[in-house]
Amino acid sequence: MYYKYLKNLSSIIDSTNKFAGHVCSLLVVLMTINVFLVVVLRYLFGISFIWMQETYVWMHAYIFMLGAGFTYFNDAHVRIDIIYKSSSPTYRAMVDLIGNLFLLLPFLYVIWIFSFPFVQKSWEMNEISREAGGLSMLYILKFAILLFAFLLFIQAISKIILSILKILNK
Amino acid sequence: MTPEILAIIMFVTTLCFLLFGFPVAFTLAGSALIFAFIGDLLDIFNFRMLFFFPQRIYGIMINEALVAVPLFIFMGVMLEKTKIAGNLLESIGDLFGSIKGGLGIGVVLVGMLLAASTGIVGATVVTMGMLALPSMIKAGYDEKIATGTICAAGTLGQIIPPSIVLILLAEMLQGANEEAGLLTGDLAPLPVTAIDLFAGALIPGIILVAMFIIYILIVAKVRPKDLPITKTTKTRSEIIKTAMFEIIPPIFLILAVLGSIFMGIATPTESASVGAAGAAFLAFFRKQLNFKNISEAAITTAKMSSFVFIILIGASMFSLVFRGFGGDDMISNFLTNIPGGEYGALLIVMFTIFLLGFFLDYIEIIFVIIPLVGPGLIANGADPLWLGILISLNLQTSFLTPPFGFSLFFLRGVAPKTVQTINIYRGVIPFIFIQVIAIILVFVFPQIATWLPRLIN
Repeated sequence: MYYKYLKNLSSIIDSTNKFAGHVCSLLVVLMTINVFLVVVLRYLFGISFIWMQETYVWMHAYIFMLGAGFTYFNDAHVRIDIIYKSSSPTYRAMVDLIGNLFLLLPFLYVIWIFSFPFVQKSWEMNEISREAGGLSMLYILKFAILLFAFLLFIQAISKIILSILKILNK
Repeated sequence: MTPEILAIIMFVTTLCFLLFGFPVAFTLAGSALIFAFIGDLLDIFNFRMLFFFPQRIYGIMINEALVAVPLFIFMGVMLEKTKIAGNLLESIGDLFGSIKGGLGIGVVLVGMLLAASTGIVGATVVTMGMLALPSMIKAGYDEKIATGTICAAGTLGQIIPPSIVLILLAEMLQGANEEAGLLTGDLAPLPVTAIDLFAGALIPGIILVAMFIIYILIVAKVRPKDLPITKTTKTRSEIIKTAMFEIIPPIFLILAVLGSIFMGIATPTESASVGAAGAAFLAFFRKQLNFKNISEAAITTAKMSSFVFIILIGASMFSLVFRGFGGDDMISNFLTNIPGGEYGALLIVMFTIFLLGFFLDYIEIIFVIIPLVGPGLIANGADPLWLGILISLNLQTSFLTPPFGFSLFFLRGVAPKTVQTINIYRGVIPFIFIQVIAIILVFVFPQIATWLPRLIN
């Protein structure tokens, strides 16, 4: 009966990352328009703004950092699937369970503990871009690292739940 | 235990871990962490070195050159989703259908054009496998030559600019180049940019295309039964009219993108945005620019760029720890002491990359292997540009080599069930020979790769 709650938790996580994925795809379109605008302004009108260039770099960073959990939800992080693809569902669930517990989660933990002071420092000194005319509030960009770790962490939890259910055949 | 031995154990163990099938990015990072921990316990590594890791992630996040990657992906997916790529294929097929082997030549040319517009091997092979293979088989083409041509033409995406492989390769080679500069005392080595690699890959890419076409023409002459003329109900003028409509706009787009890069007008990122906007523009004219196509293309782009860059993050964790163990010094010492000097070391590296290419994707090889072997080879005297072209030709070949070549997997996935896998394997063999000839040519005459970039600079 606890399985029902676990399944619910897993589907809440999945919807969270689906939402993040939609934000990312919106950012892809905005980023494309942004870079194209920079090109048009520079080559047709001879105008360029540093902050506009930085905006698309920031968007790009957010796309792949924020999208990591969504990509994992879709199982689109590349695997070497010579063995994996042709193996039984139980084998796959075992690989996913062990991998999530001993490879992914420790990695995210380390990222979190080392990045937290990194982002915090930026926040406390109210860090701004080194370029003149660049964007301020650099911590928003750096915050993407924590967001990345968080979204990937919850997705790993969802995957762990699903693989346990698979192994127990529930 | 010495750090070097731990470095070797780490490398081998990680490779084994990868084979279990857990996502590459997480395996690289997680396995590196486990060894960092072991190293810390054995007092040969300081876990606090990982304190610098957020700075590395941040470095990837603010790298402007990498923005070209999602833009080119977006352009390619747009061209594919809006059927522009498919129509291009059909149209070129019709255009060349009336000569023997014409459909095969059409596939090679389309492979080249799609390569120049997207650079995504998987997408190109799948598109051509779904569209060209059935019509080739229907026309009476021999299965071997049909599948071989499609696989080989599909891998052109790696070498023909603007290729994502080359953008990522340039990024890693530049890092290796700077390290090599530190080793040799040359503090300001000539930079390696994506533009240099694009220019360097252009002539080898064209040579490959030419050799593929010559091979098809020869087979059509020797075994005309295997590459028959295709029958069509369309009249000549109809064919030419659709061809004007289907072929010229995408070619114009490709030329605009490549031209602006090569003439030094725009950076690859800027050109890529023009390409993406241009693809959307073409879609608009075909009344294909709707919400569904845009959002699907955007989601695919987000997923693909996320998996690429998260592997880059995982790989940089791996190399941070591997270097902490002194693994990089060990490799460059090893490469310097190989008999045969520069060439001996290069041959061994090339062979290793070829073997790794059987089960690793190009992304892992570029992100993990280049930082390890690059500095040693460049310090030994290898021209980074030449090295880059050799490596990408090499990766392309291993993509094509049975039984694990990626191109073959992609085609197998979409080919009709009646096509035997063994025929796909046998079909690519002649093309592998052509690839090897191209590698030897570039190896013996480095000018093929280095002439154009030098000219542009």
